[in-house]
Amino acid sequence: MNDQGIKSRPAYAPLARDPVGRTHLLVADSMAIPHAAFAPGTSLGDYDECWTVEGHSRAIPSAMPDARMHGFRSASHLLIALRRRLAMEYMGFRLYAIGTEAFLWDVAAAAEAAGMGKEEYALFHAGSGARRVLCVHCRTLNQGVTTNLVACGGCGAALFVRDHFSRRLNAYMGVQVDAEMPGERPDVEEIYR
Amino acid sequence: MSIAFKTDEIFRDGFRYANSDAAILRFPFPFVEDSYMYSVNIEPHVRGGPTPAFDAVLDIDEHYIGECRERALVLAQDPNRCMVLPHMMAAQWDTLELIMESLAADYPDHFQLGKDGDRWTWRNRLLNIEDSFVFGAPETLPFEPFEYITRQMQGDFTLQDQRDGNLYMDGGMVTSQADWSLEFDLGMTFHEWHGPVPLAHDLGVFDRALQYLLRLQYGRPVRRLNWTMTVNPRLDTSPENYPLWGPDRTTVTPENVGDKLHLRVELQTLYRLPRSNAILFSVRAYLASMNELARVPKWGRRLHRVLRDIDPALEDYKGLGRYRRMAIEHLAQFDDGAPTGKGIAPEVDVLPA
Repeated sequence: MNDQGIKSRPAYAPLARDPVGRTHLLVADSMAIPHAAFAPGTSLGDYDECWTVEGHSRAIPSAMPDARMHGFRSASHLLIALRRRLAMEYMGFRLYAIGTEAFLWDVAAAAEAAGMGKEEYALFHAGSGARRVLCVHCRTLNQGVTTNLVACGGCGAALFVRDHFSRRLNAYMGVQVDAEMPGERPDVEEIYR
Repeated sequence: MSIAFKTDEIFRDGFRYANSDAAILRFPFPFVEDSYMYSVNIEPHVRGGPTPAFDAVLDIDEHYIGECRERALVLAQDPNRCMVLPHMMAAQWDTLELIMESLAADYPDHFQLGKDGDRWTWRNRLLNIEDSFVFGAPETLPFEPFEYITRQMQGDFTLQDQRDGNLYMDGGMVTSQADWSLEFDLGMTFHEWHGPVPLAHDLGVFDRALQYLLRLQYGRPVRRLNWTMTVNPRLDTSPENYPLWGPDRTTVTPENVGDKLHLRVELQTLYRLPRSNAILFSVRAYLASMNELARVPKWGRRLHRVLRDIDPALEDYKGLGRYRRMAIEHLAQFDDGAPTGKGIAPEVDVLPA
């Protein structure tokens, strides 16, 4: 069930600094950045700045000893600063993101909104595999879904999580699993950890 | 030939729908031979084909008034069935122009377009609409131009923007779809929005279709047929309303399958648009019950053979699982084993009573 054979699910390749870029900003939604996020022979040191999330309420961005490092309180906190930064950037700026899928596509949306093209930012999935699931029936976003089925927080429908992913909505599609025959459902399994 | 328009059809609970003999004979039956598999079955959309459904640029038939009314109902209940991204305004006007000009040329008794420079006057006698507006000025129409004109059409429409060597679904009017969501798929690339289709990716169908469509030229539209099956003559088989129509699939019995199960054929046409360089995709759906289609002897035989031999992956994707056996057993009475002629033409001029 983990691969439903649907081709809209994003695939991610390890990051490498774009040689034609001028400034390189890496953002991550965790302090724990895995080595696997970087292409062989490359590392965190290749980037001009690295913004991460410390996950506590006293974090102050840019107070770290290494001036290249900035620690934010949360992903939301980081995204506010990122949108401001993108509004002031010029051609040659390159953006790289590492983190959960929901974070990656929030970053991508900020980049697109600032006029960046697909070739100017790169994404790598790390951390939780939990999914953001849009109920196609009532349009409620259900966060942090780790199971094949989830009860919609809006309309209560038992949603099957399809592998169909919308970058624009930053969500997988949830479709009522027993619409044809009430109660006719597969077992619940935790598969997106 | 004049069309006897029906005025009281219902495409949701309380169903009221049937095809006249003329409508059956013009049905765009999708199976060119006795078996079916995916292919890039695209051909030039030139006037004339195996049935009169191919005679106009955009086909109108006896169900026009009822289908427009059904569309208005869907939009009243869910406005997001029509969405167009902001950068597509030129494509909206392109669409309005293409539809108005083709309807006025193909059906002059029912639609008239007057132009005085940018001041246009549109008359739709079937829906009793008359509006004067300034071409290029959205505020002079009661809806944005794409929604305005597609509310007056049978069939769904999507707008594809062409950039980065790809097509992006950046707009649409989708109220009578075969189980896909415009709101969810809006903004997707060609391969993304086709993501859920089984088998065809691995056959390379989408790679080749995309390359073909990127080269689509203005004034040289193309077409293909697609099909699925629908229980009841229901137009809105959207994912959004799956909780409403999903239960229909459990209501098929050996006794009612011939009347209840409908072949749903999409005459898909694609047009390059002149100002925006976008592509307009028209998905014109036709519904006919098994028993209506079987009145054409060739189609009854062939439908039986196609359903009997279909690939299991397609059975699931097209939602046939719950009733395919019943359909095959019902259709067997129309299949005497005789060979069928190549192509989709009905090969009869009049239906037996």
